[in-house]
Amino acid sequence: MNHLTEEQLIEHYYAESPQSTRIDRHLRECSECAETYAALRNDLDAIEPITAPARTALHGEQVWQSIRNFVPAYEQKQRGFWRRFSNQRALSFATACALLIAVAFFAGRQWENYQRPPQVQTAENNRTRQPIVLVVLGDHLGRSERLLVALKHGDSAESTALVKAEAQDLLSANRFYRESAAKSGDAAFAAALDRLERVLVEIANEPDDASPARLAELQKELNTDGLLFEVRVLRSHVQDEQKEQQPAAVRTLGVLI
Amino acid sequence: MEENEHSIIRAVLSGDKEAYGALVVRHSQAVFRVAFRITRDEADAEDVVQEAFLLGYRKLASFESRSKFSTWIYRIAVNCALSLKSKRKPEAAYQIAEDADAAQHQVQAADTADPERLLHSQEIGALRVRAMQELTVTEHTAFVLRHMEDRTTEEIAATLHIAPNAAKQAVFRAVQKLRRSLAPLKVTA
Repeated sequence: MNHLTEEQLIEHYYAESPQSTRIDRHLRECSECAETYAALRNDLDAIEPITAPARTALHGEQVWQSIRNFVPAYEQKQRGFWRRFSNQRALSFATACALLIAVAFFAGRQWENYQRPPQVQTAENNRTRQPIVLVVLGDHLGRSERLLVALKHGDSAESTALVKAEAQDLLSANRFYRESAAKSGDAAFAAALDRLERVLVEIANEPDDASPARLAELQKELNTDGLLFEVRVLRSHVQDEQKEQQPAAVRTLGVLI
Repeated sequence: MEENEHSIIRAVLSGDKEAYGALVVRHSQAVFRVAFRITRDEADAEDVVQEAFLLGYRKLASFESRSKFSTWIYRIAVNCALSLKSKRKPEAAYQIAEDADAAQHQVQAADTADPERLLHSQEIGALRVRAMQELTVTEHTAFVLRHMEDRTTEEIAATLHIAPNAAKQAVFRAVQKLRRSLAPLKVTA
């Protein structure tokens, strides 16, 4: 057998060599290869694993609490229910349901015609509400995310001024999105935008000569790290929705104009 | 435990969202550890943990019951960490310089404090940090998974979505580069 290559020795060190018995034998017989292998082993043994900072026993629970509001429950599957029905029973059940729906539909139409006064068609009635384009909302959340990251890493007077200007710029749009989300009943989305708005207001109202240290302090007070995560999640929701709705590309998350 | 995890997953998919909390509690530490080893930043590692479990929840319906949840979420976490690292790339160069300076500073501080062994171990530490930073992202991750996380070549390949031979080569290249970078220590030792 020729001398062992470095690759074979590395593979052997990690116990992944398909010829480990032969390599062991060769290392016993060949002092040159044994020496090379010993040097390799010394080098690799000296590279200790990177030690991660310790987490408390509550870490998992904290992680779960931080994400649980962003995950919707899966819809319950009805398979067990349907399995209990034989084909014949299912067929009669379906027929009964169809009949019931037809009767209810017919009765509803009659009742509606009887109750409804003649309606005058106006331009206002015909006007359909236009959903905000998802791209715009995604862009707003993207800009907010970048602002929060810049707030986290800003370390100069110029970056402080930029963060402030951007916060002022985002504020009115954010207020508008929040109000329309609240109107359309999307409470979770409105609440997230409300938290974002509070941060934007604080930053926008800082004096022009605010120091980076002041912004760092503000960042801690307002827990912008948590908010940054929230904004990321919202943006990813919007992106998902954007993908789903293509090519219509309109948003239904609760913000309407 | 595996059977138990599969029943938890079935419960989650049937609408019991809270059951997922048990999986998060069980695996968050391991996910944090690998995230930290890849990102080398505590806050980033925490972001990765949250993102991985969030993504895991959303994709849970595609989880195959033949595999282990721990392996599955681990792969998601590694990819989240890599994606975060690639986003931070421009900052990484700055970070490297900063770390190298810090390491040098440590060596100088130790020099004045005099114990030779301490100085030597700090020199090793500083050189090692620099050597690891010189690896490409794939080499670094493959090496971390192989050397520190004890993952097999097949597991590394599956996690990084590359061929097993490419994973093996990435580990080889990482070892060769690290040995070359750490060689000066052997001369001075």
